[in-house]
Amino acid sequence: MLSVKGLKANVGDKEILKGLDLEIAPGEVHAIMGPNGAGKSTLSHVLSGREGYEVTAGSATFLGQDLLALAPEERAQIGLFLAFQYPVELPGVNNTYFLKAALNSLRKARGEPELDAVSFLRLIKEKLKILDLDDALLKRAVNAGFSGGEKKRNEIFQMALLEPRLAILDETDSGLDIDALRVVADGVNALRSPERSMIVVTHYQRLLDYIQPDYVHVLAKGRIIRSGGKELALELEEKGYGWIDSEGQAA
Amino acid sequence: MSDEAFTGFAGWLAEPSDPPVEGRPDWLEAQCSLARERLAGLDVPNSKTESWRYTSLKGLMEQDFARAGENMTALQSDDLEEVLIPGLDAYRILLVNGRYLPELSAHEDLPSGVRVAGLRDLIANEPDLLRTHLNAVAPPDSQPLFAALNTAGMDDGLVLFVARGVVLERPIELIHLSVGLDEPRVAQPRHLVVLEDGAQATLVERYVSLGDSIYCTNSVLELALGRDALLKHDRIQMESPNAFHITGLYLTQSANSHYQGVNIGLGASWSRTDLNCRFQGEHAECDLQGLYLAGDRQLMDYHLDVLHSLPNCSSRETFKGILYGRGRAVFDGRVFVAPQAQKTDAAMSNRNLLLSEQSEVDTKPQLEISADDVKCSHGTTVGQIEPEMLFYLRSRGIGASLARRMLCLGFADEVVQRLSSDALRDHVSEQVGQRLESAPMD
Ligand SMILES: Nc1ncnc2c1ncn2[C@@H]1O[C@H](COP(=O)(O)OP(=O)(O)OP(=O)(O)O)[C@@H](O)[C@H]1O
Ligand SMILES: [Mg+2]
Repeated sequence: MLSVKGLKANVGDKEILKGLDLEIAPGEVHAIMGPNGAGKSTLSHVLSGREGYEVTAGSATFLGQDLLALAPEERAQIGLFLAFQYPVELPGVNNTYFLKAALNSLRKARGEPELDAVSFLRLIKEKLKILDLDDALLKRAVNAGFSGGEKKRNEIFQMALLEPRLAILDETDSGLDIDALRVVADGVNALRSPERSMIVVTHYQRLLDYIQPDYVHVLAKGRIIRSGGKELALELEEKGYGWIDSEGQAA
Repeated sequence: MSDEAFTGFAGWLAEPSDPPVEGRPDWLEAQCSLARERLAGLDVPNSKTESWRYTSLKGLMEQDFARAGENMTALQSDDLEEVLIPGLDAYRILLVNGRYLPELSAHEDLPSGVRVAGLRDLIANEPDLLRTHLNAVAPPDSQPLFAALNTAGMDDGLVLFVARGVVLERPIELIHLSVGLDEPRVAQPRHLVVLEDGAQATLVERYVSLGDSIYCTNSVLELALGRDALLKHDRIQMESPNAFHITGLYLTQSANSHYQGVNIGLGASWSRTDLNCRFQGEHAECDLQGLYLAGDRQLMDYHLDVLHSLPNCSSRETFKGILYGRGRAVFDGRVFVAPQAQKTDAAMSNRNLLLSEQSEVDTKPQLEISADDVKCSHGTTVGQIEPEMLFYLRSRGIGASLARRMLCLGFADEVVQRLSSDALRDHVSEQVGQRLESAPMD
């Protein structure tokens, strides 16, 4: 589904991704862990097409397409979704209007008819239930004045609505209280399917108790330096990242 | 310069072919001739005139406008359908090229205590009703050029009286419709709105056109609010893309009165709006909001003049602009707080979104404060669409141009929300969206 090979990316003169490889098959959940500043969000941004990064080497292929050649909206239209580490506030842009514009843009790109107001609202209600979100949030401006946890839940709510093929969750767990974490994890799990893959970026083992990953990768200094099963996360929780670093250097 | 220039306005005042306003009482005749005399002594503003520094009158002066008069068009009710706002339930007053058209107006069944009439009719039939307020809010001996022109050429307009304590629930919609004529015409509508003590009303004032001809509207409004009165006033300028539009709004507020004005500027190639507020009693509140869009070959020029001469009044001046193509705007806001006006609360802001490199705004908010115990602030911003916001929308599959439009509408929303009804909010959002859709985004 996603194949990243030798990816290098700069911000200005600074190289952040330094030759990164990642293979994700349909239905798999991959956790990416790693120290602050390692390049996890940079990877999410480069994959989703945010401006300000220069790819200097490597490739990213998604569902057979050259991902890096597509505009951000085109990437979303073929099924990529990024749950932002820091969701952006859009003052004055009504949340319902936004969700409808997003969903209908995806449908249009796929050659499907736009949803009318009634079917859209029915769909929204259904998805709201999954995430236990207050529908008052729908009447407000996108993320504007939302609490940290509400913003994160709103991201997963959008994911539930847009039904991507590959979702990248960038630290969706940080800032969530224990109950909200549970709700978000349940929401994510409800979306797991043999066709849908996920990249879950997190610092905490706790999330991975709820969302069980197929693989765990350690991203440090712009590279995946170690990959393993879900037991790797437990090991990291216990020992930190230091031991791999030194091991990596020794190898 | 001024001799030559003045011939440019001669046609504005020349007696129209139809008979002049009949039965004009002496006091009014005296006021109009005072304005005429004053005009003779007024220079045409140029770039050295402070309030016209950024706005040239050249294009206006080049036009040889003749005065608009009666019966210049045979308008059908179907023509009107085109400019009505779906879902807006209001009493309607229609002016066509400056003249009140009772046949296509609809203001029957007004509650008692509310009077709606054409100015021309009142001058002819009940001039005494006008005596207290006409030319009193904006006295002819201090009117600037365009207001003086309007007074000198006074013809027709809306007169609205709301008697003491009367609350008018349903809005009054004033539609000023310009219909293209063979030669460029200038209409000089003159409106008078008086709310007596405790009266409440909503006025929706719209400038629209059929076709895209060249014409000029030079309107003057006098608004007098009594004690505890409340006026909601939505103004939507959607003149033809080739039109010139001038507004001089003069407002006086008695104690505890509230004025909520929302100025939407979308049309005309050249437009100039002067909003003047004077307090005549304490604890009055004046809220002036504005949203303007200017694209290619468009100029939007706003001047605010709010004078706090008494204590305990508050004023808000919140104007937002979206500029694209080679659009230009001017915001010149002046709030003056006199030494005795303690406890004044005034906040002025002007924020602009520039969508192109060639667009331009000159913004000059001025707070002149001579009192020491006041709460006053002002701020301006001139910026572009935030790349972060744009990326967020695009990452959800929304194409770049729709995403930009959504963000512009989001920016405008704060002002749009202040309009008095959903019907108006939808109308304005739709009009803004349409203009942005055809706007070049670079
Ligand atoms: N626009 C930028 N300008 C300069 N440096 C940047 C920019 N964006 C990212 N960086 C740098 O790139 C590095 C990687 O940042 P990134 O946000 O990808 O880290 P991360 O792994 O997501 O960290 P965290 O766990 O703290 O979220 C950091 O050193 C960061 O300072
Ligand atoms: Mg990060």
